[in-house]
Amino acid sequence: MQLNINGQTHEVDADADTPLLWVLRDNLGMTGTKFGCGLAQCGACSVLVDGQVTRSCVTTVDMLEGTEITTIEAIEQDDVGARVVEKWVEHQVPQCGYCQSGQVMAATALLKEVAQPTEEDVRAAMINLCRCGTYNYIKAAIDDLSGRKGEPL
Amino acid sequence: MTQRPDSPLKKRFSFAGIALIILAGGGWFVTRLPSSPFDGAAPQATPDLIARGEYVARQADCVACHSLEDGAPFAGGLEMGTPLGSIFATNITPDPQTGIGTYTLADFDRALRHGVTPDRRRLYPAMPYPSYEKMSDDDISALYAFFMNDVTPVQQAAAQSDIPWPLNIRWPLALWNVVFTTGQTYQTDPDQSEQWNRGAYLVEGAGHCGSCHTPRGMAMNEQGLDSSDPDFLSGALLDGWFAPSLRGDGAAGIGRWSEDDLFAFLSQGRNDHAVVFGSMTEAFNNSLQFMTDDDLRAISVYLKSLPGQGPGWQAQPATVTSLVEAAQSGLPGAETYMANCAACHGRDGLGQNEWIPALAGATSSQGTEPASQINVTLNGSGRVVADGMPDSYRMPPYRDRLNDTQIAEVLQFVRSSWGNTGTPVDTDAVADLRMRTDPASVAPIVLQMR
Ligand code: FES
Ligand code: FES
Repeated sequence: MQLNINGQTHEVDADADTPLLWVLRDNLGMTGTKFGCGLAQCGACSVLVDGQVTRSCVTTVDMLEGTEITTIEAIEQDDVGARVVEKWVEHQVPQCGYCQSGQVMAATALLKEVAQPTEEDVRAAMINLCRCGTYNYIKAAIDDLSGRKGEPL
Repeated sequence: MTQRPDSPLKKRFSFAGIALIILAGGGWFVTRLPSSPFDGAAPQATPDLIARGEYVARQADCVACHSLEDGAPFAGGLEMGTPLGSIFATNITPDPQTGIGTYTLADFDRALRHGVTPDRRRLYPAMPYPSYEKMSDDDISALYAFFMNDVTPVQQAAAQSDIPWPLNIRWPLALWNVVFTTGQTYQTDPDQSEQWNRGAYLVEGAGHCGSCHTPRGMAMNEQGLDSSDPDFLSGALLDGWFAPSLRGDGAAGIGRWSEDDLFAFLSQGRNDHAVVFGSMTEAFNNSLQFMTDDDLRAISVYLKSLPGQGPGWQAQPATVTSLVEAAQSGLPGAETYMANCAACHGRDGLGQNEWIPALAGATSSQGTEPASQINVTLNGSGRVVADGMPDSYRMPPYRDRLNDTQIAEVLQFVRSSWGNTGTPVDTDAVADLRMRTDPASVAPIVLQMR
């Protein structure tokens, strides 16, 4: 089947029920998207599908034909994504970094949906887990992106 | 004063006499061995017959109750709840001491189709003999050939039932049988096709689908044992799961499913509408998927012929499709849904093809009985194994992640979104099932049927 990933068409040889995450990492060698739980519980595997944050470990590839998939590898080609990454660096958000490609995806999707999310919106949308507990830094970076100057951490 | 022809004393004697005769007759009736067409018959055991018997054992899913997960096949042991107390499935391997090794073919037949053991005890109808009585003589002798020749004998005595005296007296079941069974093998309906009749034979007989899917009456009798009865397979609550209607009911049955959908469900455990879950997982893993395509087609044709009632599900667009919208909507359960359920079941509730079931339009999202949805949310789904391959996606248990109120609210959101018409979910109902599905609780569910 054909998948459109980061603006390129990829011919993929996979069973219909293969999770997108496996295709990304194993078939295509795009390892920026991480495997955390495999059960839609953590968000480490988040990608964008038509601009919406999607957990790729539980998304079957047969659902994705005709959609536009964006992964962390190409997120900076997106205007919003580029701003998110910039602020992520500025606020030094990552610690170990394992969850962060997913966090960047979630933040990008949020800012695409609501340009200036309220604190309440941020709380609702940023639900990916971070073992290192970088939540305060994530919030600071998104506050900054939303035009709120939070307390510097 | 004139003399009466019969003295009161004499009258009393004749009453006593009649009563005695009735008692003796009744006593004989309830303790007799019913006759079997196999009385005095010599059993056959050709390889073909044994193979056919193995197939019949799959149809009847004997292993479901007569085996424990880690135990030897057919050695029994499963605890089963009845309104009177627990009983234990027996050892049906051909062990002469603890199993059925000494059963003649006629004994085997009487146990299977009449619920009577060789020592004249009556079986509880937890053994689905009201369905098995429809099985043909040929299938019974094939099944006997399989059990006697191809099942490894295991010495393992069945645990004793804990039902106290006098409730454990079993002869009244003979009278129960008079009222609630027909005593007949399956009778072909000449107005229907051969395929339909084959489906009816399997569903009403060996398949004993009604054991879970037909509501039961006061005496634990299934209210309807065949297609002539509108209660047959009309859905029933059992062991914390609601076995849905298999009739053509609009929203709550399989009215929306095509014959091909039904065939896919029975052969693969999944289709675009649903994936097997709850008690059905075992029925699929151990029984249904081993049936031939012809038999599963026949079952599909037969089930699709059962008329239903009520309007069908009318799809409605999703009103909430993201976490932010959910939070802003103020709808109870919407945020919980988007955070915990939408990744798999979809923001629109439509699921993912046949891999992850839709909740929009799902049978379990309609109607007044939310037990299955509560149960699967608390405890997750079992492993569906089709053609030896475990499935890739499974519902995880949420009992440690969501509290009773959150589960009640998220299910309420599901049951009132996308055109679903299910009734609201009570927090107490969640709390109750949480307790009863915890094996360490004071009152865990003891399965009545598997
Ligand atoms: S790996 Fe997909 S949500 Fe955890
Ligand atoms: S930065 Fe380590 S898990 Fe999030």
